[in-house]
Amino acid sequence: MNSSVDLPKKTVISELAQECLRRLMTTWFEFERDLNKVPIVKRLNSGTFSKDDYEALLKTLRQQVIEGARWMTRTASSFESNMVDVRAHVIKHSKEEHQDFKLLEKDYCMIGGKLDDILKHPKNPGSEALHSYLMYQSSLPNPINMLGAMWIVEGLGEKMAADWADKISDQLNLNGKGVSFMKYHSAHDEEHMQLLYQLLDRVCQTEGDVDALVKNAVITGKLYAMQLNEIEHDLPK
Amino acid sequence: MKAYITSTGSYLPGPAVNNDEIEDVLGLINDRPSKLKKRILKANGIKTRHYAIDKEHKTLFNNSTMAAHAGNICLDKVGFSKTRLGMLSCATTQGDLVIPGFASMVQAELELPDVEIHSSHGVCSSSLMAVKTAMNNVLLQEQDSALVIASELASRLFKNTRYEAAGADANLDFNAEFLRWMLSDGAGAMLIQSQPTKHCLQIDWIKSFSHADTLPVCMSVGMPSEKSDTRTWQDFPNYSEAEKAGAILIRQDVRLLEHAVKLGVDGALRLMEKGILDLPNIDHVLCHYSSHHFKEKIFQMLETAGASIPEERWYTNLYERGNTGCASIFIMLDEFLKTKSIKNGDKILCMVPESGRFNNAYMQLTVVSEQ
Repeated sequence: MNSSVDLPKKTVISELAQECLRRLMTTWFEFERDLNKVPIVKRLNSGTFSKDDYEALLKTLRQQVIEGARWMTRTASSFESNMVDVRAHVIKHSKEEHQDFKLLEKDYCMIGGKLDDILKHPKNPGSEALHSYLMYQSSLPNPINMLGAMWIVEGLGEKMAADWADKISDQLNLNGKGVSFMKYHSAHDEEHMQLLYQLLDRVCQTEGDVDALVKNAVITGKLYAMQLNEIEHDLPK
Repeated sequence: MKAYITSTGSYLPGPAVNNDEIEDVLGLINDRPSKLKKRILKANGIKTRHYAIDKEHKTLFNNSTMAAHAGNICLDKVGFSKTRLGMLSCATTQGDLVIPGFASMVQAELELPDVEIHSSHGVCSSSLMAVKTAMNNVLLQEQDSALVIASELASRLFKNTRYEAAGADANLDFNAEFLRWMLSDGAGAMLIQSQPTKHCLQIDWIKSFSHADTLPVCMSVGMPSEKSDTRTWQDFPNYSEAEKAGAILIRQDVRLLEHAVKLGVDGALRLMEKGILDLPNIDHVLCHYSSHHFKEKIFQMLETAGASIPEERWYTNLYERGNTGCASIFIMLDEFLKTKSIKNGDKILCMVPESGRFNNAYMQLTVVSEQ
């Protein structure tokens, strides 16, 4: 039995932050169910995931990770001086992840893909929609709602990456090689989630804050699923 | 208008069987003791259970017989006459016969005249689905009373001969053996009436959420061992070929079990968001978790959600009475009422997170007790 249901110990104190966390949890569960309907995830769950699938997934995730680092740094820069503490956390976090796409490129080559192919691969329509939305939101002043996006994206690393890495390695007989990006995230996103819990306490000051944060998480989840759905168009006929 | 649970009853067949005696009853597969048994029993925490079959694998009580015993105990407790009963609503995972419905067989055993019947088919949550149908019937004033019975006879699936016929070593994997150390037999019943009695339970609501559209089958009978084989048991030329292919073994896809826990918590949080459930103010939680292992997970997630309920408010008799599938929540409620002190106005939450294909059911009760 894997341990992906484990959540870090609660550090939230205020009632509003607690309400926010509860709503983020149900948003996450719904997102997880949506992901289970995505064709490439269905193949992964049913044991029919192919090397073509993995190559296409890595190509899409690379764009996601590159853009992720950009909206994260943009988010940091949009916090004004009255939220300098939040800005400090987001800067630290984005610094840790902004070159992660290199791990993905390494994985792609490890499974036999050509570096040039993944470098040239454009964003799919889902990735365009997701990152256009997030870049816009992160450009607004004091974008605390971006913690909703971080909840979804970091949650994927913390709760799903290890499971996906194991399944991919098993189904493609990789012996644990070529899945370094997912392994890395499953190992590090737990501390990022812990940080997120603390930030919720700091930023949830009104019901409006909670609504905005949860709305951002919902939209990020829907667009993320769209990004993975669009992978079908990248697969060879 | 509300419906009320005015009596409960339960029936567990034969003596309690401890962990060292399980294989004496179910048999050694290929004459070899199981290698998985200890590990699974350690995780689920079950110490004793009951079986309706004996060491010679003779069935001592049919599923419908156990159901009728529980039903009779429930009615006799309050002296409710069978001729007054309007409805019989029954749940089981697997009746004695494939056809007809389980409720018909139980009605015959109970010798109930002229009742409306309902058979609820599913796995653990079929129990609360059966209660809901009965409750709705009473609320719609279709009937004044309904007897609800949930009963399971799983042990027949766990005979060593079943595994041997399926090629044992070749086909027996963790998923096929898992439930052999989890499930056992028993029946529970409750009487539902339109009017409260001096000491009864008001049914506040019953809600359920099913997620079969997003997740694969987790617990099954009817799928062959070979995953790429899409035939179900009746698609084989004959039943012996289906059995050889492992299509009549009961299986649990253990990798998917964590979803039952998550979705169980998810449903509770949703009911909280809708203002239907006030989890921190629940006085007693009766949760049909199949294994001690999952209890810890549920606690942890509820704590994260800020909706934790102190340990002393949780009740289960899983460890002594075993996991009896859909009958568990009834057997739990019956023993809870017999052994725990409750007071007027106490809120009881019954939770059944089912792993069959992820249906999660919840029922809230309020204690009605005249001073």
